[in-house]
Amino acid sequence: MSDRHTVDGILDNISMSLPSKPEYVSVARLTASAIANQMGFNIEEIEDIKIALSEASSNAIRYSCQDVFQVSFVIKRDSLCILIEDKGKGFVQAECREPKIGEAEEGGLGRFIIRSLMDEVQFDTEPGQGTLVRMLKRLEGDK
Amino acid sequence: MELQMEVINRQEHAREEVVLEGEIDLANAPVLKEKLQAYVDMHGNSDLYLNLKNLSYIDSTGLGVLVGIYKQHRANGKKVFILEPKDNVRKLFRITNLDVIFDLEGKSE
Repeated sequence: MSDRHTVDGILDNISMSLPSKPEYVSVARLTASAIANQMGFNIEEIEDIKIALSEASSNAIRYSCQDVFQVSFVIKRDSLCILIEDKGKGFVQAECREPKIGEAEEGGLGRFIIRSLMDEVQFDTEPGQGTLVRMLKRLEGDK
Repeated sequence: MELQMEVINRQEHAREEVVLEGEIDLANAPVLKEKLQAYVDMHGNSDLYLNLKNLSYIDSTGLGVLVGIYKQHRANGKKVFILEPKDNVRKLFRITNLDVIFDLEGKSE
């Protein structure tokens, strides 16, 4: 893939619109797995990507109150950037309590897990403005 | 892969183990909760041994179910043991520090 002519280093851009239904979390996850595998990520990195995308997709399905959400994969030679976007309710980040890790909490772990597994993570959201999660994983050889 | 739950009798350890197989995410976490709750309702006075050797994937929705079960057991003075988790599953327990509250047993792969 590295020999191709690129714009801003982007080799490919894949987008899909998924119904906001729990059964489609696995579809997003399997798509990410196939793309990451093709790019040369190792098994542990692929698992990290699958879980992070699964968490972000689950949040979109549970909290956006919209019929669909979008997932985009931006493939570069040295990284995979995944964008998860919904046009839903959004939220006030400052009011989003961080989980007390290790204290047996049943919810609220999703964002913490995403931050733990990906190299760069950004949440853009405001009430009524939807939510965009941008998460990036660099290929091991390029870190 | 669909979630499967099976109870096996480990006579060498004189205990029952609940074996989970497949993947747990938002789609089937409610099913896991229902099945585990039914088992716990019948065996609530014993420690719970969850064998995860055939569980290939779990995310925070699945962990949330396990934490809920753990809380019930803790309230009854009982423990929940996590047996033989795969490396990717063990990693999730570790980064969320849930390996501290659960008793994780078995070698990593």
